[in-house]
Amino acid sequence: MVYSDHFKGMEKGFDVHQAVAEANRCLLCHDPPCSRGCPGGTDPGTFIRKLRLRNITGAIRTIKQNNILGGSCSVLCPTARLCEGECCATDIDRPIQIGRIQRFLVEQSWIQDVKFFEKGEARAGKVAVVGSGPAGLSCAAEVAKGGYQVTVFESRSEVGGVLRYGVPSHRLSTTILENDLRSLRELGVEFRCDSPVQGDGAAEDLLNQGFDAVFLAPGLWKPIRLKEEDIEGVFTATDFLSSMREKKLDGLAPFFSGKDVAVIGGGSVAIDCVESALELGARDVYLVYRRSFTQMPAEEDETLSALRAGIHFLLLNQPVDYVTENDTLKGIRLARTQLGEKDASGRRRPVEIPGSEWVLAIDAVIEAIGSRAANDSPQWYPSVKVNSKNLVEVDRETGATSTKGIFAGGDIINGPALVIDAIRDGKVAATAIKGYLETLEVSK
Amino acid sequence: MSDGVDLSVEFCGLRFKNPFMLSSSPVANSAEMVGRAFDAGWGGVAYKSVVTDNIPIIHPSPRMKEYDYGEKKLVGLQNVEQTSDRGLEANMKDIRYLKKHWPDHIILVSIMGFSNQEWADLAIACTDAGADMLELNFSCPHMTVEGSGAKVGQVQELVQKFTETVNDVTEIPLVAKMTPNITDINIPALYAKKGGADAISAINTVMALPGVNIDTWVPDPDVFGKGSLSGYSGPAVKPIGLRFIAEMALNKDLGLPISGMGGIETWIDVLEYLLVGATTVQVTTGIIHYGYRIVEDMEEGLSDYMVSKDISRVSDLIGKALPNLHETDKFDLSRQGIAEYDLEKCIGCGQCYIVCTDAGGQALEWDEVKRRPKPIEDKCLSCMVCKFVCPVDGLISFKEMPSSWKRRETVTLGDDI
Repeated sequence: MVYSDHFKGMEKGFDVHQAVAEANRCLLCHDPPCSRGCPGGTDPGTFIRKLRLRNITGAIRTIKQNNILGGSCSVLCPTARLCEGECCATDIDRPIQIGRIQRFLVEQSWIQDVKFFEKGEARAGKVAVVGSGPAGLSCAAEVAKGGYQVTVFESRSEVGGVLRYGVPSHRLSTTILENDLRSLRELGVEFRCDSPVQGDGAAEDLLNQGFDAVFLAPGLWKPIRLKEEDIEGVFTATDFLSSMREKKLDGLAPFFSGKDVAVIGGGSVAIDCVESALELGARDVYLVYRRSFTQMPAEEDETLSALRAGIHFLLLNQPVDYVTENDTLKGIRLARTQLGEKDASGRRRPVEIPGSEWVLAIDAVIEAIGSRAANDSPQWYPSVKVNSKNLVEVDRETGATSTKGIFAGGDIINGPALVIDAIRDGKVAATAIKGYLETLEVSK
Repeated sequence: MSDGVDLSVEFCGLRFKNPFMLSSSPVANSAEMVGRAFDAGWGGVAYKSVVTDNIPIIHPSPRMKEYDYGEKKLVGLQNVEQTSDRGLEANMKDIRYLKKHWPDHIILVSIMGFSNQEWADLAIACTDAGADMLELNFSCPHMTVEGSGAKVGQVQELVQKFTETVNDVTEIPLVAKMTPNITDINIPALYAKKGGADAISAINTVMALPGVNIDTWVPDPDVFGKGSLSGYSGPAVKPIGLRFIAEMALNKDLGLPISGMGGIETWIDVLEYLLVGATTVQVTTGIIHYGYRIVEDMEEGLSDYMVSKDISRVSDLIGKALPNLHETDKFDLSRQGIAEYDLEKCIGCGQCYIVCTDAGGQALEWDEVKRRPKPIEDKCLSCMVCKFVCPVDGLISFKEMPSSWKRRETVTLGDDI
């Protein structure tokens, strides 16, 4: 098997026997810690108990009602440090594979074809949701369940935000995403794609266009760069993963197929990029990270799987500059580092070793060092208070911004965070929005 | 003989190299199969019930249905298997072959007649073929031939009559196989003894209805749209088997050796059957689940146990639990205890708290912060259900309390009405 075969599709999920067997290992805890470990309130303790007692439809219902993106979360969540991290069975031998059980139940729902949602009894009140990523979708679903009319504005041509454009299909298949979205359509949520809410006062304008409330969830899409200038062969993770997802491979193949590639960064996105580079048929793929292996923000299972797939980890190497010829990438200049004193994050800081610079010859680079809010994003909602990083300030219990009728959630309030955190934000704001639509007051 | 331990037993005057036998069933259907079982280590066989060629035997299809618990497969097994569907001559040839090639193994041939004459004919044929003993099948609960099997076993006079018939035509020992689908198993067993039986074997399968297809509403096993009450076996019936063996072993009027069966898979199961009075044991469902190879673990396990207990002969184990079996009115109710918790081992699942609250004495409180149970000693009923659900071995144990200890009375509501 060649490298690239590893990433042709998602790993196979549980069949019914495996799922039931795994559920039978569950201790069915009183006050289940796994449920408390889910920021989004998916409540695995309940859905596993239901599966154990062969109440499969009920188990699916629990997931669907608690988490409209239950399918996506089942494969994207870093379960090892959320629900599974809290699992009591760990003290017996190993945690219950909650994510895989959840995925089984969600996949089972497609087979059963039970309709879990119907549009609620219509109520007066129109809500605009800006952004169709996890926060926006979660909010849209909860508000729609209340019978309100919800319109989701998406700047790209398809719905899903980071779920569609930010993760490779071998991690989240389009099938799972589309089935999650089907639930939203059952709820009568209207989607307007290719409809960016960007430009001066665009968000406030929605309130003037007949919407009674607005939920801002545009996410963070501005890549943080090593060097701002355009060099042929240098990609941002955002662009690279989007192109992969949109199958715009013609522009990528010449840089990756049979070539040597470096990915800069140590987070989950960097892992997605190294794996995708392999999928494109790269010869050697280097992951360049300035800190140590254990300091990598990526999940342990992700890093180990990348190691096993043959990625070369260049740890304790700080990217310094690109080496180019005629604006074409030839290599990357790296400096060796060693760990010094602790920094603000509590991790030991990487310190460059003087005179240690060296050049790694490569054909392409993907920068996966993070993303932030666009420079001009505050102008899209000028009345809304933002912080120094252009993140929107909200009341954490309601998602309410400084502007009456405008709420916000997801990465635009948190900075880079988990999908399930965004889902929680959407649910929190939805509760407040429904109250606001009734009373025109935000109550906690 | 291994490790200075003698596994051989004497049963109806015949020496078995060990007490492990195949029971009369699909696992003992032909010489080819039984020969392999002997080579694997089984000491004897109850060769699958042979019949005359007067009535053709056709098995229903499918003929078995599994009963699973969670992911645990074959906790029980339902079957509508009939007697041997092979010709009498073929079976007799196989028996001759087995006796010739494995002369030191005991061949007990199960027979089932559909008339008095047939019982005699079968007994003569099997004796001539070299059978060491005969097992009279009065117990198959699902024969498709009217008035046979367990229907005989439930009519005591027929048990006696057919036993007498066989006894009149053969000198070899007779084992009457009993059905458990009866209130008092000693009644037909005593009639069998009166008819000349030398030993009893039990239990045949338990009449049961293990499940219903919830889409088609056809009870198991679904034989082209028809279900039927039929025989149930496997680990699920072991407690029932042990009961019937003990009841017969305790019956002084009966006083016959017993070949015990019902849910045996491991050496521990074997040992339990021996301890309540069986001399030999028979196995089918365990073999259906795992194959003949399980006898290796029965032999090794029982031998090691005997070494550890300094017991050299299997016969020294037979019936040794019976003096400790009493009517419940003999219990010493003045001695009481509680469930004792070693919370150092606790992992905080709280299942004990749930069951104690909903099914016990409400004798636990739950510390939500530490996620640990807090026992209230004087409310513990010593039902021990907490121990049964606790996933940690040795965390909860039974502890006797001093005679001065008093259990608090259950709270009564509604005093003011």
